[in-house]
Amino acid sequence: MPLKWVLHWQPNAGSTVNSQILSEVSQCVESINGLKQGRWKATLTLYKPHTREPSLTAEFPRDFLGVSVPEQPNKYYLIIRGQRIVLEADSSIQTIMEKLQSYKTRLALNFDVEYLPISSMEKARQIMGEFLEIWQEAVSKRSLPGQFMHIEPNFAEYGLADHYTSQHTAVQYATVMAQLIATVQAVQSVRN
Amino acid sequence: MECVVQGIIETQHVEALEILLQGLCGVLKERLRIHEICLKSGPNLGEFMHGCSFRGSTLMTVRHIGGAMRGAGAEQISVLVRTMVESKVSKNVLRLFYALGYKLDHELLRVGFAFHFQRGAQITVTVSSVNKMLKLHATDEAVPVTPGIQMVEVTAPASAENYTEVVSAVSSFCEYLAPLLHLSKPGISTGVVPTAAAAAASLMSDGGGTTL
Repeated sequence: MPLKWVLHWQPNAGSTVNSQILSEVSQCVESINGLKQGRWKATLTLYKPHTREPSLTAEFPRDFLGVSVPEQPNKYYLIIRGQRIVLEADSSIQTIMEKLQSYKTRLALNFDVEYLPISSMEKARQIMGEFLEIWQEAVSKRSLPGQFMHIEPNFAEYGLADHYTSQHTAVQYATVMAQLIATVQAVQSVRN
Repeated sequence: MECVVQGIIETQHVEALEILLQGLCGVLKERLRIHEICLKSGPNLGEFMHGCSFRGSTLMTVRHIGGAMRGAGAEQISVLVRTMVESKVSKNVLRLFYALGYKLDHELLRVGFAFHFQRGAQITVTVSSVNKMLKLHATDEAVPVTPGIQMVEVTAPASAENYTEVVSAVSSFCEYLAPLLHLSKPGISTGVVPTAAAAAASLMSDGGGTTL
């Protein structure tokens, strides 16, 4: 399967993301011959322990993530970032987790992403890196209040091989999600 | 959901049972070797005990077996109807569940054969010896839990809409096996049947041609 880099938009300090920025970013991609190909949806679900005694949960993860990606509609990925575990399962695992009642879903985010495939992108980090530079350059010309960030998780820590799979995508989403949560918390602590 | 009945048979009559099943189903048997690991939730997670088993060697499956259907209707039927959800998973599944606080309850190795066929419902019959491991995960050194006795299980997937038909399909199939073994709801053991030896001898002598 084709390699994928999941990027996130890091706003400059004090600024926020709005539809104007999204629209300008889209225009940037179109300016380097990207084609807009419909909407694309990923779902991230945060699972939290279901317990009456919070003091006893210290030894277990505070939460873990469930991810579904559109290219694998019958699969579901469970990720514990702290312990670098990514599990690939049939989507029926969601029913099992629900029945087990140990962890409850607390938050589900639907990511409607506008997917912008650039044709003939090779599975090479160098090419992806060069592409990202071109894109960053196009974005920087517009003086937008932020920039795209690419955090490459250490896939080997999750036991994932160099050959790209949907598990790599799921881990990237989990990493981006953690980054977003950290950003939101940082903004909130500044405000408070 | 699934419908399920279980029974036991002496190992010496298993060959006769296989001939009978072969004749009834008209399909080839499938060899079975399932390493089953049952987990329970740790004391810190929720107030319920949950079992979750993992089957397979190269491919792993998480299997959650829920409670049996209750009510007056459920009491009257001879087949257990219960919820069952399966999910094929990658091999690191145990690591994930241990990380979430689950603990090993027990593990078993089932060795035997299975028949899958359509007969009013999608029925699966498994005949297996149940083995326990003396050391953790040491499937090569497994020893029988009940020497000389094998376990027979008849299951069929069902839904809330069709379970009554599936129950009757399973019940009527079980009648064909009655001379060799008695099948009942799991946990209600009825032992071996007295007619087994004679029925097995008859099957072995004519290769299953006689209608029992």
